[in-house]
Amino acid sequence: MQQQGPIGPPRGFRDILPTEARELGVIEQTLADVFADSGFTPLHPPLLEYGAVDPAKRRPIQFLDSDGTLVALRPDLTTSVARLVAGRYRDLTGVLRLSYVAPVFREEPAMTGGAREVLQAGVELVGGDGALADAEILALLAESLERCGLSVCEPTLQVGNIRLVNALFGAVPDETRAEILQALRQGDVPRALGRARDAAMPEGDLERANRALTGIRVDGVDKGELCRVIELARERWPGKEGRWGAPNAALVPALPYYTGIVFEAVHPHAGVIASGGRYDLLIGAFGKPRPAIGFAIDVLQLHRALYADRWQPRGQRPLLLLRPSADDRATMRCAAALRAGGLAVALGDVVERAGRAVIYAEVIDESLVKLDDGRVAEAASLGSEVAS
Amino acid sequence: MRPLRFALAQGLLLNDALTALRAIGLDVSGITPGGRRLVVAGGDIEFVLARPSDIATYVERGAADLAIVGKDVLLESGARVIELVELGFGACRFVVAAPRDAVERSLDEYRHLGTLDVATKYPNVAERHFRARGIAVEIVKVAGSAEVAPLVGLADWIVDLVATGTTLRANGLAVIEEIASSTARLVANPAAYHLRRPEIAPMAERLAAWAAAR
Repeated sequence: MQQQGPIGPPRGFRDILPTEARELGVIEQTLADVFADSGFTPLHPPLLEYGAVDPAKRRPIQFLDSDGTLVALRPDLTTSVARLVAGRYRDLTGVLRLSYVAPVFREEPAMTGGAREVLQAGVELVGGDGALADAEILALLAESLERCGLSVCEPTLQVGNIRLVNALFGAVPDETRAEILQALRQGDVPRALGRARDAAMPEGDLERANRALTGIRVDGVDKGELCRVIELARERWPGKEGRWGAPNAALVPALPYYTGIVFEAVHPHAGVIASGGRYDLLIGAFGKPRPAIGFAIDVLQLHRALYADRWQPRGQRPLLLLRPSADDRATMRCAAALRAGGLAVALGDVVERAGRAVIYAEVIDESLVKLDDGRVAEAASLGSEVAS
Repeated sequence: MRPLRFALAQGLLLNDALTALRAIGLDVSGITPGGRRLVVAGGDIEFVLARPSDIATYVERGAADLAIVGKDVLLESGARVIELVELGFGACRFVVAAPRDAVERSLDEYRHLGTLDVATKYPNVAERHFRARGIAVEIVKVAGSAEVAPLVGLADWIVDLVATGTTLRANGLAVIEEIASSTARLVANPAAYHLRRPEIAPMAERLAAWAAAR
């Protein structure tokens, strides 16, 4: 039987080859270090969760398992963490600092260039309340991006607050306000304002809401509250002049679970590379409500942004490609001596070097190698020689 | 940073869109409707002309920062963009229509056969509408002239975009139900809107004032 299977992965999924994987590895490691430096510990929620209707209208990739249960590849990690916290930590009411670097999966229509697998790195601070927690997490996002090598300027981090948006529409009944919020999550400002006008919101309030959502400036009280948390977050680097963080009352993320501060990191080439905020009611959907705040960085988009900014991953030690001699035993021992001296050694040649620098050498005997320029070196000490 | 890129839909909306942009003081002199140059510089802004249904994609993917596009296109594409200003021109409606003399018959068919065939160029809008109404239909996607479908027996009903309704009447169709109305909107890519607010917001403000004054 002739079998001509598809040679690439399914639509929306792709192979990540070594050059990219090496760069992503550097980013992931940096993020894991930044998270650990602030006391966050990694955890691994499962790849599958129970399928459910998603209020955000994101379509998870769902299927029936052999029991006939509807299961879904997790569409985001915050919801998984919320479920896990409500169940496994229901008796521990203190603060949890959790982090993850893991893929999530979303259905995307065909032919739109949409990826169905997204790699997220993020943190969730459960039980943290108030301005201090808000500022700490906002500063942690800035630090995460900066330590990966992204230059974080004022508009990179946009900071809004769902409570302020709710307050803008304080004059309308709760039910109408929910509809207005829904329109804003979908990005439809005219419908939101139209709904408010239909609900007889006073003209002055309408004008104010319109200015906040589409104007250049954020007004007095709102700006004050947004700026306070940005200024507090900047205290992460006391005395440093660098200004980052822009107050933006119009920031209403598509995800429905945010209740307070919200923020996004945006880049001119990569679009939105991270988003997060406070979600005090989400854990309550699975058990006892607890205040919580977090963010998730789209690692592939961050990589895209870094690439656009001509970023280079930090240097990796070169790889020594060792040409074996006729004596296999001497070759093995020679490689061992080189590795013991601190070198990365591959026997023979490697085609895919992922941008890594290589040195060639040939085995003479178990303790000596001949370098490409004809020089003979001690296997045991070559490592320190290369390093210097 | 590259100049702000503004996508405009070729076709019915273009003249009104150019009028609006001229009214708020933008230089659109390089754009000729039906012309061959599709990327045109106009002061600090670069204009791109594209098919209406591609505009939402351009903006969603950040290839254009801003666009003027009909709400109908946004409803069908489901593109994630920020809609900033309702511009008022280009009014049209999504409607469900059926042969004037056959509405009763198709309802009878629905009772007996349990489903109706609906031909449309807008399968997403049609599907969403009938699902929300709990009516079981089979959507038949056509690339044009859906109004012919009931005449030739391709489908029972159609979902189509109408401005005046003349074409429907000429083909013996009557509107059963209105799904949504649409006008042109100023839309922005979400990241670009947040990142380049100082450039975009004044334009949105002036366009809103222009639309309100009309």
